[in-house]
Amino acid sequence: MIRVENVTKVFGANPQSVLPLLEQGKTKTEIQSETGHVVGVKDASFKVEAGQVFAIMGLSGSGKSTLIRCLNRLVEPTSGKIFFEDPEKGELDVTAMNVEDLRMLRRHQMSMVFQHFALFPHRTVLSNTVYGLEIQGRDKQEREEIGLKMLGMVGLGEWAEAYPSELSGGMQQRVGLARGLATEAKLLLMDEPFSALDPLIRVQMQDELKKIQAELERTILFITHDLDEAMFIGNKIAIMEAGEIIQIGTPEEILVNPRTEYVARFVEQADPTGVITAGTIAIPFRGTAFEQVREAGELKYLARQAYPEIEYGLDRDGRLREVVSAERSLTVEPLESVLEGRSHTSHERRRDDTLLTCTNRTVLRKLLQGRTYSTLPIVVTDEDGCAEGIVDEMELIGAILEKRGVSEEEAEAGIEAPRGRSSTA
Amino acid sequence: MIDPTVVPVAVAFNPFDVLDVPAREWITLLVDWIVAVFRDFFRAYISPPVRAVMEAVHWAFSSIPPLLFLALVFALAWWAASWRVALFSVIALAVVGFMDVWSPFITTLSLVTTAVVFSMLIGLPIGILCSRSDTLYTLIRPVLDIMQTTPPFVYLVPAVMLFGIGNVPGLIATIIFAMPPVIRLTNLGIRQVSEDLVEAGIAFGSTPRQMLWKIQVPLALPTIMAGINQTIMLSLSMVVIAAIIGAGGLGLEVYAGLERLNIGQAFVGGIGIVLLAMVLDRITQGLGEHAPGRRKSK
Repeated sequence: MIRVENVTKVFGANPQSVLPLLEQGKTKTEIQSETGHVVGVKDASFKVEAGQVFAIMGLSGSGKSTLIRCLNRLVEPTSGKIFFEDPEKGELDVTAMNVEDLRMLRRHQMSMVFQHFALFPHRTVLSNTVYGLEIQGRDKQEREEIGLKMLGMVGLGEWAEAYPSELSGGMQQRVGLARGLATEAKLLLMDEPFSALDPLIRVQMQDELKKIQAELERTILFITHDLDEAMFIGNKIAIMEAGEIIQIGTPEEILVNPRTEYVARFVEQADPTGVITAGTIAIPFRGTAFEQVREAGELKYLARQAYPEIEYGLDRDGRLREVVSAERSLTVEPLESVLEGRSHTSHERRRDDTLLTCTNRTVLRKLLQGRTYSTLPIVVTDEDGCAEGIVDEMELIGAILEKRGVSEEEAEAGIEAPRGRSSTA
Repeated sequence: MIDPTVVPVAVAFNPFDVLDVPAREWITLLVDWIVAVFRDFFRAYISPPVRAVMEAVHWAFSSIPPLLFLALVFALAWWAASWRVALFSVIALAVVGFMDVWSPFITTLSLVTTAVVFSMLIGLPIGILCSRSDTLYTLIRPVLDIMQTTPPFVYLVPAVMLFGIGNVPGLIATIIFAMPPVIRLTNLGIRQVSEDLVEAGIAFGSTPRQMLWKIQVPLALPTIMAGINQTIMLSLSMVVIAAIIGAGGLGLEVYAGLERLNIGQAFVGGIGIVLLAMVLDRITQGLGEHAPGRRKSK
């Protein structure tokens, strides 16, 4: 949908003069003290696929707002290229556009939601929502129809005739969102849209954005300073520090494998339960932790050296056929079906005769809920139903405390490192 | 240390004796030149439209029967401000009528209206242009300062020389004197529109013209209205002074009363001016507060 190549933005009297210094590898601080120029964004490159939600996370001053404004050239990039994939016209070079083409791009292809809402105080909620359509020159009836539909979608159908000053912050940003969606632009640029809201309202808005996105399937570029928000909303995250993108990856990749000290510090505070998946933390059957204890017909029985009392019977394709504990066969049930309609604060005794299975995409939170039902390890399968490994108490605890998968040695010992499998990039 | 022998010499020396700038002569020459070159042009192209508008406005106002006039003022004041302002306005104008200065009142109102119409016609576009160009505003600012700080009487001389005596030269002096607030506050109002909102306008692909009419001017409206309010007040004060060069109305009542030492006549004219000023001020302020989205109601 959009491809950003080596975009740099320098603020100051003569930005071009600073580019060679950047190439020499001088830091932002050095350049600022030597030349008085401020490096906003340095050599940023990334790609956003259609339908993706791409989150850019960074603290204030990291250049994330400057970067998002480079995409629709509210801020003129000093160097670098930006390409936009137009559904009809093919790939367009945004950086080379003239004023008129750029205006058309902003009207029809890219819209924006702002941190401080930027609603027009002299216009009603409906009139704010349809501003983009009005600018496009659509007739009144058509735009009001679309506007009311969008307001309905964000839950403000009743407020069409109110003025922004009559709404709460959360409601105002819903109008901002409706205005951004109304133009039917394929790419929605969201500049810290929920940062100015109360924590409770923020979480509510995040949920709603996810729902709306599932329905409309736009492409979203989402700026935030909150890693949890980025991980919840984004399919992919880019982390920025001092104008540079220092890591791009799926939420889990970043959480499990932070590339720098800086990213690691953020990750420490993040909540892993909705991000880390079973595939990442499972102890692989093919690793050194397991050994074959016996063979019976088609089935091979594996057991962990540390816990030999449970034997896992796999067939030739690697499917789990039987689990045996203390000479008796255990019931095997899928995690999903057990969790349905179950409260995890139940006072019933936990089962020791039922073993749960789940796919490798199941998140940590679900696994924890499963453990409130059964005391036994959970078997993790891939998309085809082949058993990959197990998750036991230690792995769950490790994932919460360390935000790590299995230890390095175990991962290397496994034929397919679970970490590699979890990445879908 | 100061050499004591030098001090008396330094004190005795007056630098202003060295050079004598003949400013009076120069200005006289300049004004004479302007009058000689532009007099015919001004009288041919500037006087007629101003006169036409003034006469049309005066005809319209004076053809409304006083009772209907009061009713219209009541309705306008209620719509623009509140029923209190409406009631006050009607009482104030009734007092003017009972003091038997209704006709001069209508003349003054026509002069003020004409002056304000021209001030807006010229001032609003200049103000908008100034808000878009720092260079232009830097150039125009000293001109505005001169226009506003020059004592009103000083305008009267060249106005008489170029346009003769009567209502039209009075009006032209008034327009020049009263226009700066419209320019200044239009410029200020547009520049004060939050950058966030302008950015949002650009991000949705507004053209500069759409930006101006859909975002900047509506949001600057309360400030622009404050400028128009000031312009009305300034033109009212100038229209009175313009009586000296033959403009009619309440100013003439005051001027004539003073000349004949008829204190009563002068005061009646003065009270009429004050009441008119208050009515116009309340109504235009009410208009400015009524911008959409700024309602106090909740």
